[in-house]
This record gives sequence, structure tokens and C-alpha cells, in this order.
Amino acid sequence: MATAPGTDTWIIGCGEARTAVRRDDVSITELAWEAVAPALTDAGTSLPEIEGAVTASQDFWDGRTISSMSVNELVGGAFGSEAKVAADACLGLGYALARVEDADQHLNLVVAHAKESQGDMHTIELAAFDPYFQRALGPDETVVAAFQAQLLYAQGLFEPSHAARVVAAARARSSSLDPLSAQDVLDSAPTADPLRELDRAPLLDCASAIVIAGGEHAARLARPRVRIVAAASRTGAYWSQRPELHTAPQARAAAEEALSIAGWEASDLDAIEINAPYAHQHLIVGHALGLGSGEELVRRFEGGGEGPAVNASGGWLGGSAGSVAGLHSVVSVFKRLRESGGRALAHSTTGIGTQSHHVVLLEASV
Amino acid sequence: MSPVRTAIVATGQSDHGRRFDASMGEIAREAIDRCLASRGLSFDDIDAVVAGNMEMFEGIYLVDQYLVGALGALDKPLYKMNTGGTVGASTALACYHLVASGRHQRVLGVGFQKQTEGSTQSAITTVGDPVWERAIMAGAIGNFASMASTYIAESGVTPEQAAKVAVKARRNACLNPHAHLKLPNITVEEVLESEMLAYPIHRLDMCPSSDGACAIVMAAESVAASLAEHPAWVHAVATSHDQQYMGDSPKRLAVMRSLQAATKKAYGLAGITSPRRDFDVAELYEPASYAELAWYENVGLCPMGDGGKLIDEGATLIDGDIPVNPSGGVLSTNPVGATAMIRVAEAAMQVMGEAGEHQIPEVQRALATGYGGNAWTDVMILSRELPATAEVEA
Repeated sequence: MATAPGTDTWIIGCGEARTAVRRDDVSITELAWEAVAPALTDAGTSLPEIEGAVTASQDFWDGRTISSMSVNELVGGAFGSEAKVAADACLGLGYALARVEDADQHLNLVVAHAKESQGDMHTIELAAFDPYFQRALGPDETVVAAFQAQLLYAQGLFEPSHAARVVAAARARSSSLDPLSAQDVLDSAPTADPLRELDRAPLLDCASAIVIAGGEHAARLARPRVRIVAAASRTGAYWSQRPELHTAPQARAAAEEALSIAGWEASDLDAIEINAPYAHQHLIVGHALGLGSGEELVRRFEGGGEGPAVNASGGWLGGSAGSVAGLHSVVSVFKRLRESGGRALAHSTTGIGTQSHHVVLLEASV
Repeated sequence: MSPVRTAIVATGQSDHGRRFDASMGEIAREAIDRCLASRGLSFDDIDAVVAGNMEMFEGIYLVDQYLVGALGALDKPLYKMNTGGTVGASTALACYHLVASGRHQRVLGVGFQKQTEGSTQSAITTVGDPVWERAIMAGAIGNFASMASTYIAESGVTPEQAAKVAVKARRNACLNPHAHLKLPNITVEEVLESEMLAYPIHRLDMCPSSDGACAIVMAAESVAASLAEHPAWVHAVATSHDQQYMGDSPKRLAVMRSLQAATKKAYGLAGITSPRRDFDVAELYEPASYAELAWYENVGLCPMGDGGKLIDEGATLIDGDIPVNPSGGVLSTNPVGATAMIRVAEAAMQVMGEAGEHQIPEVQRALATGYGGNAWTDVMILSRELPATAEVEA
């Protein structure tokens, strides 16, 4: 049993595929294996020991009904248990956590994969819109993000240059994308007013994996480990039924629930990772999480200000993809915490216009 | 850590069939409303929602987010499962784990599909590997034609025996107010004379495409008894898959290794030693008549090769000693996102004594299975008896 509030479930290994704009050299299966294989090694275990897996991916992006069919075998699914969530992997981690907590599976893989180079962004995103009243207008996620940004900037707390600086800060920390300046973002091609092309995270091919274990198994494997203290999620209304599109009360609610489970205060956190596909959405979520507004919040993304480090990994804007971004942050935080200790919050989102928010709290082994 | 003892305490189904009168959200809500109303519950009583649907069928990406209002998931955690034909059972299993882990006390699960608004066979064809398999995929019919041919060769099962399953299903469906395909006067001869779709599968050997939804509420021991007079306690859950590529599965689905592996695990957890004796009823996910016969063997209701004999004996009829699919099964109702959850819900209804005209007398223990993907199996065992211990081993 956990000696502290929260779960007795631990991350004991991680791995990630090489992230690039196009990975024509590998199939989806091979891409995912690039993440799974090092995660197993890192955890000191092997596939036959894995009792279950939760994967995260999207049929539409993969162009395949049951997109986890591509990775089923390599996550231990052959005569083993794999289940797929169609959402960001932070939600999948929450489900995997439950499967360990109820003692059904003591050693579980969580894997997220996306090969966005294979999909047509507009066509896929158009399919997320109401088929009766909205789809004929030809919208995509950028259109909603633009509505959201307009509403946000109209409040006067933020302006486009703030979002541009968030992008630049992410790129400066990225291990897979070239650095760029805020001015580069502001000078990039307009997409939907007030957004520019570089306001959006680039489409990428990537995969992330972690091995999680119940306390007894984590102790047996004796690897440097990080406790998954709590997970929480909240779902907002569909974008067109959400007049306050520029706010993220569900992000705040999910974080508050997770902190309550942990018995922590926000001030106990040493690191926060925020994930969303557009730069201004980081400002919305950061504001909702109480990290400040305007210049104050932007400086947090740039590494300044007081309090926890914000997006030290670069997050989604620094190189990840839908379904994967949350797990990419969890991997980054896991590496950081097992080296230098501390407590962290990883956030991600699912849905058009940051509809659902998922939060995971992690703590280094003490 | 020990799991929280967990039960299904409520079920609800929409009317299944060709639902030109309702949108997909309305169909899902119909099932949810019936489920919650059966126990006087409201959305305020629900801690989390798990949704199951195959998005490629209707072509709505992020359908759970689109239908968040209909699903009652606003400001709650909303998990979206996406596991093919099993998805309804995978959704039920997720509900179970979220309660058994102590995370939530009451979780609503809902599976839904509106296949009249999509192309079922096209969507199923994209299950195949795009390089090696898709060009030869032919939806579910081709898959089960291959399975049935192999099964005939391996076991000597006959088209007449398969037709008896088809007849049983559609006659049972007449007792189920929600069922899609009700054929009270169907005969073996009529099945054998129906259009040949792909040898040896006749049209009436195959499941229909339906619009429909199913909902369940899974609850923790601390609240279950106050919600249902006879909760359907979960004694075991298990999932297993076969190889990633279909060609790697010897004997195709006639020998369904994932079904054998999942039931073996679940039987071990639930203390099942003689399935035919220990279960009072089974709801098996049988997309085709031949599949049900093979599943009899693979879940251990009879020795391998004796599936045809079991139906000849009448053992699996609604008044047999081990009734299988008294609801009418998948052969009568198949809204894919809901289909496997219907198996779970029908098994729960039998345990709770709430199956109406198709209720089997004195059900104590029921088996539910889900099938999908590349021979993917989910299993749930439900019982009227509270699990003796809260300890469950993997």
C-alpha cells in the first residue's frame, strides 16, 4: 500500500521513437517499437512479463479501424491484454493506472503513437464537426482555435506576441525541431485570423511508451522510479456549445481534483507541463491553472518567474503529436524527477478547442 | 491492493433496428435514460462515463467529444474506448476497472452505433494491415466465410447445424423487446435457401447491421446493494488477442486461441471448472451462425469438434440446459459499438432476474464474451453471489 495519499503505482521505464516530420523509413508498427523496446529495457523487464497494455491513437489519423491493430503484438497483445483509448495518452494512463490499482495487471505498458505525416489534416479534422449543421461550412480545428484566440485576445490579458513567445520558448527546448524566434511566428503565413501557421504545433511522426508497475513489482524490479500519485480528467462542452471558449475551467477542476487526491498544494509542484496544439491554448490553460496572465505567464514558459518550471520539455509545441503529447510530457517529467527529484503535474487535452483536460501528478521516489 | 467488489446494477437498451427516427446521440441517450431511470438515478449520481463506438463507421472523428451532452459526461471524466467489435465489452471492462480500483463509485458505460449512416463493410475492411491484408479483406462476411470453411473441414459441422443456430437466434429475438431481427417462423430450410453471400455463409447465417445503443451502470460494493435488489457481481474479467496478422492464426477462427486464453484466465479467477454445469446462461458474441458453434467448443461448453452436436441436442436453446443467447444474440441485433455491451448487459439482466420474456429461471452465474479485431476476446463472468473475497489475482 502507498504510504502517502494517492496510488501505489510507479513509472519504472520509458522510451520514445525518433520524432520527425516524416518517418518514411518506418511503419507505424516499427515507429511504436522504437519507443516500446527502450522502455522495456529501461524498466529491466521484457514483453513476456508485461500483463497488459493501454494504447492511445486515433483511427482517423492512422486511416485504420482499430488503429491499435498496428501495435497490438509489440505491446504484448498476442494472448495478452491490450485496450485502446481514442484520446490523449494521459487519459490512457489514467485507465492503465486503474488496471494496476485493482490488481488485475501488475506490470502494464502505456503506449501512444501517431504518424501524422500519413493523414490529411483538414479532412480528418472536418470529420470532428457536427455533420448536420457545421461540416458543410468546411471548418477544421484551426478555425475553432482562431475563434478561441479572438475571444482570448479580446479579454485584454494576452496578445498574439505572447503566444508567439510561447512557441519560441518551446522550440528553444525542443530535441526534434529547429529553434525559431517569436518574430518568425508573427511573420509566418496567416491561417485563420489571428492565428499564424507557426502558432500550431507541426504535424509529426512520433511515439512514446512507459512501463508502470504496482508497488511490489516496482520494488522487485528495483529501477529508479517515479510514483503516479493521481490522475484526473474533466470534459467540457462541444466547442459550439461553449461560449466561454477562451477559458479552461475543466483544466482547473481536473488539477484541483488531482491535487486533492495527492494532498498537495499547487505550490508543492516543481514542474508543470501543459500540452495543447496551439500556442494561445497554453496561455488559456496556464491562466486556468493559476500561473498568472499576460507577461507574467509568458515569462513562466520562457523559464523565468517564481515557482515550478513550466514546459521544460518544450511540450507539444516542441515536438509531439495528437494522442502522444501528454505521454511525451510524462516521459520528460519522469526523466527529470528520477534524476533530480521533486513533484510535477503533466496536463494534456483531447478534442476540438481544448475540450477535455487530463492531469497526472508524479512524484520522485523518496 | 485488493479490488473493490463491483457489480452491474443497471442496464438499458435503445430500440435496435433501422432508426431513421433518431440521431446517434438520441439513440445513445435513449439507452442511457432507460438505464438510469430503471434505478431512479440521474447524471448527478454518475462519477465518470466510458463510451464505446467505432468512429470510422459513421465517419465522426472524436464522436465522444461531439456527443458529450447526450452522453451526460459534461464536467466528468470521459473515457473513449475504441477496440473494434469488442468495444462494448472493452467499455464494460473499463467501467469495472475504474470502480474496482477504487477510483470511482458509479460509472456509466455506453456503447452506440448508427450503422445506417455509414458503410460497415468498408470500415471493417480497414481493420486489415494496409500493405499485406487490406486488398484481400472483404468485411465481416469474407472473414467468417473463411472461418466457416475451415471449421467445416476441421470438425465436420454441417450447414444444417449452423442453420439451427440462425433459427434459434431469430426466434429468441421475438421474446426480446429491443431486438432488431425477429423472425418467428424462420426455418432451417429458409436459412439454407437464403442468398449465398460467400460460401458457406448464407444471408441468414450472418448478423444484421443495426442502429442501437446499450448502457450499464457499474457500482462499488458500498452502493451496489442500495441500487439493485440483486446486483450482477463481477467475478472475473479477461482480455486476450490473437496474432496481429490474420495469416498467423492457424485454423482461422475455428480454433479461437484468444477465446480459449481469456476464458481460461477468467474461469480460474471465478472458480469455473465445468462451464456447461457452472453457468446457467451464456451471451456469446456470435457474428455468424458457424461462429456460435465454434465458440461453444472454445469456451468449453463441449469438447472441441462437438459444437454441432450441442445444437442438435438442443442444449443451447432457451429451454436447454445451457441456454446461449436467449436475447437473440448478435445474429439478431448488431449495432457494433453496442453489440458486445449488449452481451454483458443481457448476462447482467439474467443474473438480476430482469430479462423479461427471455429470462432463464434461477440464473446464478452468467458468461458474456466480446469478439472483434483480429480474433480479439473480452470475457466477463457475472454472478448473483457476492465474490467470496475481494482478492483477485492476475
